[in-house]
Amino acid sequence: MKIDYIFYLLIFPGLLFISILGLLIGWVDRKVSARFQFRVGPPLFQNFNDFFKLLGKETMLVKEGVITIFIIAPFIAFAMIVLVSSIIGTSLFYNNSFGGDLIVVMYLLMINSVMIILGGSSTGNVYSSLGAGREIKLLLADELAFILICLVPIIKSGFQLQLDGIVSSQLQNGSYIGSLSGFIAFVVGLLCIQAKMALPPFHIPEAETEIVEGPFMEYSGTLLAFWKLNGFMLYVTFPFLLILLFWGGFNPEGPGIIWFILKYLLIVLLIIVIKNTNPRIRIDTALNFFWKYASVIALLAVVLAVFGY
Amino acid sequence: MEINFLVMLIIIPLVVSIINFILPRNLQKLFTLAGIGYSIYIVYILYTQKAESASFFGSIILSVDKLGLLTLSFIQLLSFIILIFSLKGLDKEIEREYFILYPLTVAFCNGVILSINSISFMIFWGLSGLTLYLLGLLGKTSDTPKTIKKTFILIGGSDAFLIMGFVLLAYLNPTINWSLNNSQLPLNSLSAYISFFFLLIAAFTKAGGFPFHTWVPDFSKDAPVESAAFLPASLDKFLGIFLLAKIVTGYFNIDFSINLIIISLGALTVITAVMMAMNQHNGKKLLGYHAVSQVGYMIMGVGSGNVLAFAGGLFHMINHTIYKSCLFLSFGSVEKKTGTSELDDLGGLGKKMPVTFTCSLIAAFSISGIPPFNGFFSKWMIYQGLFNQVKEISSLEKILLLICIILALFGSALTLASFMKFIHAVYLGKRISTFDKITEAPFNQLFSNSILAFLCISFGLLSLQIPLSIFIYPALTEMNLIIPDFIGLYNPTLILFLFGIAFIVGISFFLFSPKIRYDNVYLGGSLPEEKFRIAGTEFYNEIRNMKPLKSIYDWADKKYFDLYEVGTKGTFKLSDLFQKAHPGQLQLYLLYVVAGLLIFLLLI
Repeated sequence: MKIDYIFYLLIFPGLLFISILGLLIGWVDRKVSARFQFRVGPPLFQNFNDFFKLLGKETMLVKEGVITIFIIAPFIAFAMIVLVSSIIGTSLFYNNSFGGDLIVVMYLLMINSVMIILGGSSTGNVYSSLGAGREIKLLLADELAFILICLVPIIKSGFQLQLDGIVSSQLQNGSYIGSLSGFIAFVVGLLCIQAKMALPPFHIPEAETEIVEGPFMEYSGTLLAFWKLNGFMLYVTFPFLLILLFWGGFNPEGPGIIWFILKYLLIVLLIIVIKNTNPRIRIDTALNFFWKYASVIALLAVVLAVFGY
Repeated sequence: MEINFLVMLIIIPLVVSIINFILPRNLQKLFTLAGIGYSIYIVYILYTQKAESASFFGSIILSVDKLGLLTLSFIQLLSFIILIFSLKGLDKEIEREYFILYPLTVAFCNGVILSINSISFMIFWGLSGLTLYLLGLLGKTSDTPKTIKKTFILIGGSDAFLIMGFVLLAYLNPTINWSLNNSQLPLNSLSAYISFFFLLIAAFTKAGGFPFHTWVPDFSKDAPVESAAFLPASLDKFLGIFLLAKIVTGYFNIDFSINLIIISLGALTVITAVMMAMNQHNGKKLLGYHAVSQVGYMIMGVGSGNVLAFAGGLFHMINHTIYKSCLFLSFGSVEKKTGTSELDDLGGLGKKMPVTFTCSLIAAFSISGIPPFNGFFSKWMIYQGLFNQVKEISSLEKILLLICIILALFGSALTLASFMKFIHAVYLGKRISTFDKITEAPFNQLFSNSILAFLCISFGLLSLQIPLSIFIYPALTEMNLIIPDFIGLYNPTLILFLFGIAFIVGISFFLFSPKIRYDNVYLGGSLPEEKFRIAGTEFYNEIRNMKPLKSIYDWADKKYFDLYEVGTKGTFKLSDLFQKAHPGQLQLYLLYVVAGLLIFLLLI
């Protein structure tokens, strides 16, 4: 039994699968973004080259910083993303939950931000501290709306918390995105994951031109390689979670796999389009946007779901 | 003569306290340690043998059930751990008084839990409030007298409500004869409602529930850190939640509308306190607000009327005392080393105090509900219980309960945010040069903090095997509550195992890194001067200044939500009015007499 879990974790749908798919989707992102800017864009394996090249580079550590936290932060975030992806992927592809339910996944997903904050601010660099402060505010901004949208599938599935239960319920009764509450929650969810991945217009914590990558400023070599990899892996984790919660999961019968790939690519494409068509907003604007608009709309979705719409 | 262990559990710490009056300091410490150690042994004996009781004046006064045993176990355990912390590092001027009051508090708290008679319950409850007042008085800040007066008035006032509640309970149920058996009084008359809400006020005030919580943050700031960890963070939580559990499951038979009111108050406690905590600049006050916020989860669980959430609420009570004591004590170590509890003046101590930092971080993860630490498991149980409850109620009740769940879930994120600020301000970021020579805390403090941190991890990983199976489920079984299956799925050991594998895979890449170089921080060529330092306290200024939160925060700063301050102002205004009405003019007094006579004649 444990061997199965290790397979899920390390091979499919875990580490190997999401890291390769993440790096490839990262290429799609870079290529499409380049086309938006009338550039040619990088070759297919550029992200792989970047990752392995960074692994071979010198790692710099800050003398006065809390070095242990600085080193382990990217790997804790990495392990968490692999673990959550395995839990989500196993529910999607095997219709079999293990380890944790939706509440566990929601809490585990916060660890990525926590590690960015701890790792960044462990150095004592002023830009990193500024970025860390922004990162936690961004987490707060999107978390309220994210909690609300996660409640919609729980309500619609008859208060199921287990991920496979939510998938099964949709396979029997149709995707939640087909209902009004499900559609609203999906749209808000898309914006939430944009913020959770800190992609434009929500790349406020990193803000290269302003605070020089913020929490990642002091990272280099292997450690930076893993932060980059983590970012690409999230391109898989969050869209998969959205498909699981709202868009019927994965149906292995008939053309199910084709539909699944199309759904995934459409979500990624939407993320890339939003990313390339919006300038960076300020953190207070992000807070206002999520708390005063997105969360209210998401609350409406919750109320609609309670009344069966 | 046969030894009655229930009486011993009160007598032993009481005797220790009295003898401590005459003992020299070092012996005081040893004697207190031995006394509390022996209390732990007595609780162990009580677990293994058949339940007994103690009678005085012809009626049973002391008795203990499994819920009481659970509470007693952790009262002794936490008292022992905090005592170890206090052995070295305590302010010499207050040591003598502290070691007299400490066992006295334990004795009174044990008395509350063991009392099966409402009169002895009230006496011990009142006495525990008195020791809280005295332990608070040992504080040295300029605001200490004001804060302790506030605490005493709020706690003393709640004692009055407790007395009135119990008197009404005895009046409504004359057969019980002041006994605190499970009378299951139905709420079918105004007197029953008043009795219920009066007792609820007493429980809320002791535990620190909204809106009677305002003494907790102030006490945490102005009392010695040991007192703050000992009472508002630990023992008072046990007493308050123990009373709440007894009210909702034993003394009264309540319907779901009352449960919903309690859950809503719990959710309000979570969110209001954590929003206040986020903007604090004093570390101890920040922790005090979190001590309030976490009570919200316990209130939600224990007052929900669902067995799973009830068990979760009790478990959260245990977990909270563990991680909150750890946070208070580790911050206490920092305060003793640096001489300040102001977050703006701290920073970068993680490198100088690595063990204290690690313990603090583990406790911060626990309180924020990060899996697989203990705080998550109890919160997860509460959520499941509430989701179970949602299935069976009307749509409007569903929406209200769901909003409470949302607030609780979001409260966790806010707690995490607040602790990221706290950790950043104390342990990370740039260190001030005056702290360059700081060393790690003394061994006894590290030992206490490490044990508490260890409990955070072990109770998180082995929740089902240790706290739930040994302490909580037996209590529920004794109360004839059937424990339902979990509707969710959470396997902390499997999660940690798989997380560990992925982590090892990741970090092994680093271990084979070609080269590592150490350097200074890079600021684009500028020198890392202290004037550029980011303390972290300003992280949430955007939230503080956001409309309409700004107005609410401003009102909170003006103490508009503080019952004590509002009550004080109201009393002064009223007395001012009376003063103006008595200017010493005879004609006016004559007018009052005539007017009074007229009103009297009209009334009859």
